[in-house]
Amino acid sequence: MTMKTTIIPEDQKIEIKEEIKRKPTIGVYALTSCYGCQLKIATVSKIIEIADSVDIESFYMLSSASSMHKKVDIAFVEGSVSTKKDLEELLEIRKNSKTLVGVGACALQGGVQSWNHGDKNYKDLFENVYGKSKIEISEAIEAKPIEEYVKVDFRLPGCPPEEEEIIYFISTFLFGSWPEEKDYPVCQECRFAGNICLLIEKNEPCLGSITTAGCNARCISYNVPCIGCRGPVPNDVAWFDSLAKVFVEKGFTEEYIRERMKIFGSHHPKLEELLTKVFGGEKK
Amino acid sequence: MRYVKLKKEKIKEFLLALQDYGELYAPIKVSEKYFDFRKITNEQVDEVVLDYNRTLRPPRRFFFPEKEVLFTFNSKKVEMYENKEAFTSEPVVLFGVHACDIVGLRIMDSRFIDDQPDPYYRARREKGIIIGISCLPDEYCFCNVRRAEFVDSGFDLFLSEVEDGYVIRVGSVKGHKIIDATENLYVEVTKKDSDDLTAFDVKKSKMFTVSGNWDSLRYTLELNDEHPVIWMRESEKCLGCGNCTITCPTCRCYDVKDYPNLDGETGVRVRIWDSCQFREHGLVAGGHNFRPTKESRFKNRYMCKNAYCKEVTTAYCVGCGRCTYFCPAGINYKQNLIEIRGGI
Repeated sequence: MTMKTTIIPEDQKIEIKEEIKRKPTIGVYALTSCYGCQLKIATVSKIIEIADSVDIESFYMLSSASSMHKKVDIAFVEGSVSTKKDLEELLEIRKNSKTLVGVGACALQGGVQSWNHGDKNYKDLFENVYGKSKIEISEAIEAKPIEEYVKVDFRLPGCPPEEEEIIYFISTFLFGSWPEEKDYPVCQECRFAGNICLLIEKNEPCLGSITTAGCNARCISYNVPCIGCRGPVPNDVAWFDSLAKVFVEKGFTEEYIRERMKIFGSHHPKLEELLTKVFGGEKK
Repeated sequence: MRYVKLKKEKIKEFLLALQDYGELYAPIKVSEKYFDFRKITNEQVDEVVLDYNRTLRPPRRFFFPEKEVLFTFNSKKVEMYENKEAFTSEPVVLFGVHACDIVGLRIMDSRFIDDQPDPYYRARREKGIIIGISCLPDEYCFCNVRRAEFVDSGFDLFLSEVEDGYVIRVGSVKGHKIIDATENLYVEVTKKDSDDLTAFDVKKSKMFTVSGNWDSLRYTLELNDEHPVIWMRESEKCLGCGNCTITCPTCRCYDVKDYPNLDGETGVRVRIWDSCQFREHGLVAGGHNFRPTKESRFKNRYMCKNAYCKEVTTAYCVGCGRCTYFCPAGINYKQNLIEIRGGI
């Protein structure tokens, strides 16, 4: 078999070479969050290797020279949109990045600051927390995942994300490929680890079966039931209804089940629909 | 067949002697309800449980690990480098394997050795030592109707309980060598022992909650494809967690993934256990999914375990009861099969 070759014109050839030679540029940004995802990225064991392989244009936790107005190949964004300022910054980051990676529970699921989503009028919620005081820097708005405002190309979940996955994401980009999304639950890795099932044996309200894998069942390995920080399994395979039924059989109340599933899943479009199947129409 | 008898008080010495043949793994209690095959050091031989019900993780993991590096690659040099670990690792000595699990390993062999030989699996399996042990069923067991409650082969040694010890059947050359090297541990098998073995069999067969033979499930499922009530009703309960397939002693599906390194050139290719209960299992290029719904994925497992086997003389299900025992949603596979069979 003969290989088909394409002749590249001389002038274009040089341009391509330059493009290949250039290190990819990345930026690490934060909206409203605890900065934990940035801290995690900054402290991965291979950070020196990463710093050698890419040009870090911005990294808010590490450098005051960071700017969201610089163009980058890949933007890593942590935090939820919780203020008007967050939103403006997010739009600017999106505008200046070729690829945008949502990082962590706040960016992807709205974070714990979204726990109340759908339950309370935002104005009342704000007053509950801040009373009559005003926030000067920017106008506060209801905390939402960044996906509600911009296109997110890849999702790096976790609270914070796992080192293994941070390196996997950057490595696949450097390889010219892309990171594969996990759409199976924590249970898989939990059984691999040889853990006992806290849901079956200890009747603990473990959310492992509806939560995206990738943490190697970190909490359950320490006998702590999964709280769902990595977010519901994507592609509509988080079965809130089936798990809620199991919880009911174990004696948990509707209120408790809804609250627990909402900690990191309040923005999931199917959550209420599936819970309604189990608990009926009106929320209690 | 060669038979010797090991008295109960000699079990500890026997386990210690096994340490000479490789890395010893045996069932221990890991929680109130669960047992698991774990690595046993000399200090831990007392923890080995001889009358456990079933292990959390199936024996296949010692020969077909959950995650395994197949090779590393260099995309610039266009070269790949085989992972030699399976060929150089210590042999696994797996003690206390139930008959159903031994049949399970034979089913694994049919796909990983007989069909398309897998060098890694074969290397581990060939040097591995399997020591079976007799057991009594609980309400989850139905190995009898799967013809997996007794094995004639597939082990190096098999311990069958008698009143004051175990009658050991020798099933391979490796088994003979172990017995020869530890000859002083054993006594002659007596007429009383032989009577005990029969009595054990009778007792065991009376303990099963189902009887007969379930091979006809193949016809029921394949010729009478519609059991919509069961598929719908039961898959509604399903969490899609994959516990049933991960704990199954005969699930063989795996996924292959590439993990590049930060140099942008090299990386590793890994195979990792997959589950037909996961969405991605049926997903192919172009976005088509052969099993797009939870119901279709749920049904697939029942079909695979009962009707898809073409290589060995039993179904892919050996009746170990794990998929019911370890199902967080309480889906009763055994009961569902009874229902599919029309209540018998």
